[in-house]
Amino acid sequence: MSSQEKIKNKSPKKINYYKLIMTIVMTFTGLVMIIPFFWMLSTSFKSPAEIFEYPIQWIPSTFNLGPHERVWFGEFSFFTYYWNSIKIAVIGTAGATFIGAMAAYGFARIPFKGRNGLFVLYLMMMMVPPQVLFVPKFIMFDFAGIYNTHWALILPTIFTIIGVFYMRQFFLTIPHAISESAFIDGAGHFRIFFQIFLPLAKPAIATFAILDFSWNWNNYEDALVFLISEHLFTVPLGLDNFVMEFSVDYAGMMAAATASVLPIVLIFIIGQRYIIEGVASSAVKG
Amino acid sequence: MKWMKRQQMIGYLFILPSIIGVSIFFLFPLLFSLVLSFTNWSGPSGRGTEFIGMENFQRILGDEVFRQAFFNNFLYLIHVPIAVFLGFLVAVFLNRSVYMKNALRAVFFLPYLISPIAIGFVWMLLFHPSEGPINVMLMSLGVDNPPGWLSSTGSSMYAIIIMSAWQIMGFNIIIYLAALQGVPRELEEACSMDGAKKWQITRYVTFPFVSPITLFLLIIGVANAFKNFGLIQAVTGGGPGNSTTILPLYVYQTAFRYYELGYASTIAIILFLVIFAITLLQWLGQKKWVHY
Repeated sequence: MSSQEKIKNKSPKKINYYKLIMTIVMTFTGLVMIIPFFWMLSTSFKSPAEIFEYPIQWIPSTFNLGPHERVWFGEFSFFTYYWNSIKIAVIGTAGATFIGAMAAYGFARIPFKGRNGLFVLYLMMMMVPPQVLFVPKFIMFDFAGIYNTHWALILPTIFTIIGVFYMRQFFLTIPHAISESAFIDGAGHFRIFFQIFLPLAKPAIATFAILDFSWNWNNYEDALVFLISEHLFTVPLGLDNFVMEFSVDYAGMMAAATASVLPIVLIFIIGQRYIIEGVASSAVKG
Repeated sequence: MKWMKRQQMIGYLFILPSIIGVSIFFLFPLLFSLVLSFTNWSGPSGRGTEFIGMENFQRILGDEVFRQAFFNNFLYLIHVPIAVFLGFLVAVFLNRSVYMKNALRAVFFLPYLISPIAIGFVWMLLFHPSEGPINVMLMSLGVDNPPGWLSSTGSSMYAIIIMSAWQIMGFNIIIYLAALQGVPRELEEACSMDGAKKWQITRYVTFPFVSPITLFLLIIGVANAFKNFGLIQAVTGGGPGNSTTILPLYVYQTAFRYYELGYASTIAIILFLVIFAITLLQWLGQKKWVHY
């Protein structure tokens, strides 16, 4: 019996008691953390008079659907924003995952001249603040005719740097023996990549894809800089627009905020274990 | 041998798309930005652009808004150590002894994934100066003159700091939780048998043990505090006055509100250098408190 177990067996009741109190305290703290979400949801169903009532009415007396109607079927429809955001996030994420995984394989498994130098260059690129790139990209995109199109948002995200890092990190953990024996059997890089690495790295790739999707979905800054036509707006920009147009429609604002966080909350609820473990492992290993 | 050569060529094909893309969308703009910072480029086409040498850099020295944005940015940084410290505490508690650890972990992490501007608008109403739940609660607790939060120059940055700390804390918790798995149980137990109190163990055993992670979180957090401006742009637009204008926001506004693209590039380059310098300082300062 280890010393650890001995201590536990000495006073099992006391430890459980402590644990219970800590659980209650931490649950309470956790609730405080997500209270803004409850307030947002509850306010989105309220009539103007009820919004700032105190004590807070967490469950509105009547569920007023008006704010949600204004968000989805009003002058600025969230259906348009949703469609734009889905298009950009899906194409951007799919591209980033594929091109990122290929490059990650190259950096992890294919020895070539200057590989380390190139990798350091990638590392340095990650430190560059996006603001430094906004102005030159604006000029370039205007010149190339993709300013104020969705391509201005999609193209840069496809060439992910962080994704190359993340997936390379995982590829490095795949034993060399596996790819070497495949190599000896006559399989080329393409077969090794598609038939061995991609299936083995499924969890890492899925985690990256989910995170990348949420980054793309939440990307407000690029949309702000590169889009000016209302019908091209993404969800965050549409939300911003809605708030500017109807600055006193608080319930509508909260309905719009609810609409814009909904997909990410759903994805998180479904995949939270993978997301959290993926984030944790990438950082601790790196 | 020929086959090996061909495989080598195929190898390049794997990285080529990424290299081309990164060159077009990262490397070239970075160099272009450097060039722009020495010009008076304005408007997208840049007609009539000239090289003006160091003029933009001289202008920064006398730019009142730049100076304010610079200091605001350092004030804004406070949210990083706050979120790291609280994140550490929550992680220690979650790690040590709670039921439903995974569910609680998820609850704390959620804000991190959520769009900062969506949640910024929620906070904006929570912080409403006269009717918002936060001030109403403060008043009912006996605070006669609660702060005006986002609507007054003296408190606006603190409201932003609270929002940002709240948002990034979950990330810190998750990273700490993972790191805490590496702290040997036996070590903590040996200390507790020697009569060390729980907080002493946390302070003198656990904290030094995860100090490399603390450094990592500080570096990431500080770098992001000089990059992200979406929340501030959406919620206050840098105001009232310039009380919440930070450097990245000032770059954005100079470029896309006033279309002074050359000058905006100069500020952006300075911003880059500031991030670089602070990261370097943190890296050099680690000897004093980081243990590997």
